[in-house]
Amino acid sequence: MTDSETLVAIQQALVDLEQISFVAHRDTQAALAVIQPYGNDVVLEWVLACKALFAHDRDAGKAFIRGSEAACIASQSVLSWTHQALQFLAWRGSWKAVDGYMGQLPDAYRSLGAEGEARWAALGLDWCERHLDSGIAYFRCPVLELEGGHGIAGIEEVVLPSLELFTKRRLALGTYLCGAIRVRNLLGIDAVLPWAKRGADILQAGRLRGEAFFKLESEESMSLLLENLPGFRTPEHQRLLQLVLYAWFGETFDLLEGNWSPDKGRAFIETDGEALYLPIALPSREEAILAILHAAGHMAFYSFEQRYIEALFKAVGREHPPLDEHQRITWRPLFAAYGEDMIRFQLIFDLCEDTRVDARIAATVPNYLGRLLAAAEAAPLPEGAAAAYLEWARLVLRWMAAGAPGGSDFEALRPLLSVEATVVDAYKTANEVYKNSILPYISLAERELAYIPGRSPNAARPVYPRRALDHAEFGTGTEDKDDVVKHDDIKPNPEQKQIPKHAAGEDPDFDIPPEETAGSGGRVGVGIPQPAHVMGYAKGAEYSEKGKPYAEWDYRDNRYKRNWAWVQEKQLTELDANEASKLLTQYAPALKRLKRAIQTQKPARMAPLRRQFDGDELDLEATMSYIAEKRAGMSPKANIYRQRVVQHRDTAVTLLADISTSIMQNNPNGGGRVVDSLRAGMLLFAESMEEVGDPYSLAGFASKYRDNVSYYAIKGFDERLTAHTRAILGGLSGRLATRMGAAIRHAVAGFDRAPSQRRLLLILSDGRPADYDDGGDERYLHEDTRMAVKEAVDAGVHPFCITLDAAGSQYLPQIFGPGHYLILDNINDLPKKLPEIYLRLRK
Amino acid sequence: MKGFLNRLRGVERDIIQLPVEDDAGAPYYEAQNNEIEIFEAAYRKRLPVMLKGPTGCGKTRFLEYMAWRLKRPLVTVSCHEDLTSSDLVGRFLLEGEQTVWQDGPLTRAVKAGAICYLDEIVEARTDSTVIIHPLTDHRRQLPLEKKGQEIEAHEDFMLVISYNPGYQTVLKDLKPSTKQRFIGINFDYPREEIELKIVKNEVPELDDALVAKLVAAGRRARTLKDHGLEEATSTRALVYAGNMIAAGIDPVEACKAALVNPVTDDPELSEALMEIIRAHFA
Repeated sequence: MTDSETLVAIQQALVDLEQISFVAHRDTQAALAVIQPYGNDVVLEWVLACKALFAHDRDAGKAFIRGSEAACIASQSVLSWTHQALQFLAWRGSWKAVDGYMGQLPDAYRSLGAEGEARWAALGLDWCERHLDSGIAYFRCPVLELEGGHGIAGIEEVVLPSLELFTKRRLALGTYLCGAIRVRNLLGIDAVLPWAKRGADILQAGRLRGEAFFKLESEESMSLLLENLPGFRTPEHQRLLQLVLYAWFGETFDLLEGNWSPDKGRAFIETDGEALYLPIALPSREEAILAILHAAGHMAFYSFEQRYIEALFKAVGREHPPLDEHQRITWRPLFAAYGEDMIRFQLIFDLCEDTRVDARIAATVPNYLGRLLAAAEAAPLPEGAAAAYLEWARLVLRWMAAGAPGGSDFEALRPLLSVEATVVDAYKTANEVYKNSILPYISLAERELAYIPGRSPNAARPVYPRRALDHAEFGTGTEDKDDVVKHDDIKPNPEQKQIPKHAAGEDPDFDIPPEETAGSGGRVGVGIPQPAHVMGYAKGAEYSEKGKPYAEWDYRDNRYKRNWAWVQEKQLTELDANEASKLLTQYAPALKRLKRAIQTQKPARMAPLRRQFDGDELDLEATMSYIAEKRAGMSPKANIYRQRVVQHRDTAVTLLADISTSIMQNNPNGGGRVVDSLRAGMLLFAESMEEVGDPYSLAGFASKYRDNVSYYAIKGFDERLTAHTRAILGGLSGRLATRMGAAIRHAVAGFDRAPSQRRLLLILSDGRPADYDDGGDERYLHEDTRMAVKEAVDAGVHPFCITLDAAGSQYLPQIFGPGHYLILDNINDLPKKLPEIYLRLRK
Repeated sequence: MKGFLNRLRGVERDIIQLPVEDDAGAPYYEAQNNEIEIFEAAYRKRLPVMLKGPTGCGKTRFLEYMAWRLKRPLVTVSCHEDLTSSDLVGRFLLEGEQTVWQDGPLTRAVKAGAICYLDEIVEARTDSTVIIHPLTDHRRQLPLEKKGQEIEAHEDFMLVISYNPGYQTVLKDLKPSTKQRFIGINFDYPREEIELKIVKNEVPELDDALVAKLVAAGRRARTLKDHGLEEATSTRALVYAGNMIAAGIDPVEACKAALVNPVTDDPELSEALMEIIRAHFA
């Protein structure tokens, strides 16, 4: 073909293209300028390719034409990628792949070179051949991410393992790729294959679960990754951090898991004024300790104190924004005034406030500044604008560590070192510094690099304004400082999904505000008094959907009402493992003491009984004194033997907790709610019982009307204490009323499954028996409970009631008999007392 | 004086020993409160005394000091689980073909008019705690059940028990009937300035700065009591740590050996304690 023929052919092709699409023609013309220098033959081929692709699929054509200019500039060639693009003609609906391909081309040429690009394209085309969607996913995946700085080898290492997954398990590349890249970036290529294999296993078990795993959306996937995350892992050292904070600040801080994940950049400890949010891993132990001290220092030294926040907004001359739905406040309006330069100001403000707080911490924690400085000196300087900030922070720190000598550049910061300085001073100082500062403009992306190790953005989260100072003024803040058993109101971790309360399903009026059922016999459901009238007998006894019927004693008729109260066994579905572990940590010393006390009681070895009248061997000491006394002319008792027997106490126990609405109310002795003590009590009881080794079961009960008594079996005699059980106990909450008699009868029936001869039923209550339908007649359910207790005794079960109701002595002697109940004045004692009581009873 | 004392080392001595008369032999004690006056008043009226307080806060040292001050011999009995009443009161022994009665330490103290100190009384079996009842009220008698006798206590006799309310509270406690027979003196770890003085006095080789750091670290470690630490860092442990430092051990290591390792096996807790110590000594 001669040149002129070529030119004609080009023109012809262009005309054809114009006829098909005006836009395509226009775009082609635009790109031609870049293509033309490569010669007419090339241009012809390219234009024909445009036409072919456009004819094949309009979108593919458009993508090709539009991407050509950039591709040509990046590759300094035309034909190589044109030929590659033409291969897409083989598949219908491949335009998405073409689109992705053309989009990635410039990057591919730049980062991989021509050879690498060819390999990259070949790999992708193979995938298109195998499975078009996978090919699309491949080409859509940004090439820079794909290679991850390793060139074409990086691409191969990520993509090749998926071949096997695809052929054997039909795992599409799209499912695998994003996750795999993230895994590689986080943990290195070696982690990818085990991760993918695990994923493939999971995928076999269930498609949805497996896909969630590959998208790194599922817990198991994340946890698999996080398990392998290098650095100082905070979840494993939570207690250490907690102890360190307690030692230095004398306060317990809530340490919660933050939502940081390894690909979100630098790990910081954040705070919202109430809790500290820990990333799963921090680079080193030292940094973790410094960071937690620093973050807690913000809380301890009033960075988030309500009055100062208010003063701060006042200083700016504006109202602080309304609190959000969680009663949190956001800092944003403070920075908004700085517009584009917001990040710069924010960093300066953070540095001022950090300087203030660190000065205060240094007064408490010896050598703190030295360590912070050492960590800062060791930190590598980042590139870009952040370096200046980091360097500045270092200089300030050096100045502070040197005892803040006069005449330095940092005189402006001196007021912040005073004990009286507040966050407001920090803000004012920051403004001064900001005006005179030569620190460069910095972008949000670079911000995280500007902090020295240990410090973090202070305004990372909206904060709950603290009111520690307000409390301190009224002398309530420090009252229970020395109390081990400290109950803070349990607040939800906003990071974690709360199980909606009605997910429990069975309690329609769960959300009814707590009613007064404790104390001296407050009532629930008091309406118009109705006689508890017998309307007829339930038919077809035994178990049905209505549950299991029990007779109820009516003192007015002096007879049983058959099949009157219906008990349904249910499962508690609200789990709170976090709470459970928190309680266990909180009560660890008490539990340890209990366990030790139990161990001394437990016949771990065959303990010799000394001074027995009968036995296998002589008790030498007793014999000596026997002979000596005999010689001395006395007549000692002949208890000179030793016996080795296992002291076997064959006892089974059921702990039956009243979980009526009243347990949700606040503890009259202060410190949290009744339910907090109840949870802790049951947890400690369970843990102690594991140590004792006696068979035990745990249950809770609540009721609403006679035909709706819920019996929540938490742990059966033959079940083990599992994390699940603990989580149930941690998530225990109150509902409905207290129909105790029916619950006792059901619990007694449950002893059929207990292996032991001696049976103990511990009832844990916080008020008198009552239900919505008892017509205001307290005595009715009292009498019924009394009969239930009597029946229990007849059945060989020993009931014992532990009540939190201070007025319990008014009615418990009648119900349980004198000596068969115990009133705990201080609910906070419950966790420690409960196992003790059991041990005393079982003797 | 010291030479004389040294000659007595490694030699069996009777448990009834009058304290050394001169001032040089005085046990070192820093008063924390009014405990000296209270004790002296109780002694004047011959009332039994109960010393309550955590381990290593100076109960025993206080009593040694008081015995010296009041010039009474001190008989110390460390109570343990198997301590029976005959271990306290006495027993018949065989000697050749004869049986002889041997007085127990309590009986000896009652006869000699000594101060009898029953250390950690809760540990003892209840039968042995009950026999002290008649000694602790107006009767001031010790019944010798096996001999069918009773002894009127010497007019200078005084009974002192110690009792650490901390770790025995579960399932192990003195009976109220026993407790209420005593004058109670509460002890706690001394205030910082007194503790500084004590450590300085016990380990004179250390320089003041080091002592200050040691005491500060110890006091800080004390805050972790009840957070897994059952017994807080005691003044005695601080003195031990001081001695280890004086013996040439690196301060951090010395504190680890004296303050951390003995009190906990819990790795996280020891880490937290070490964190405190390192912060002070780094």
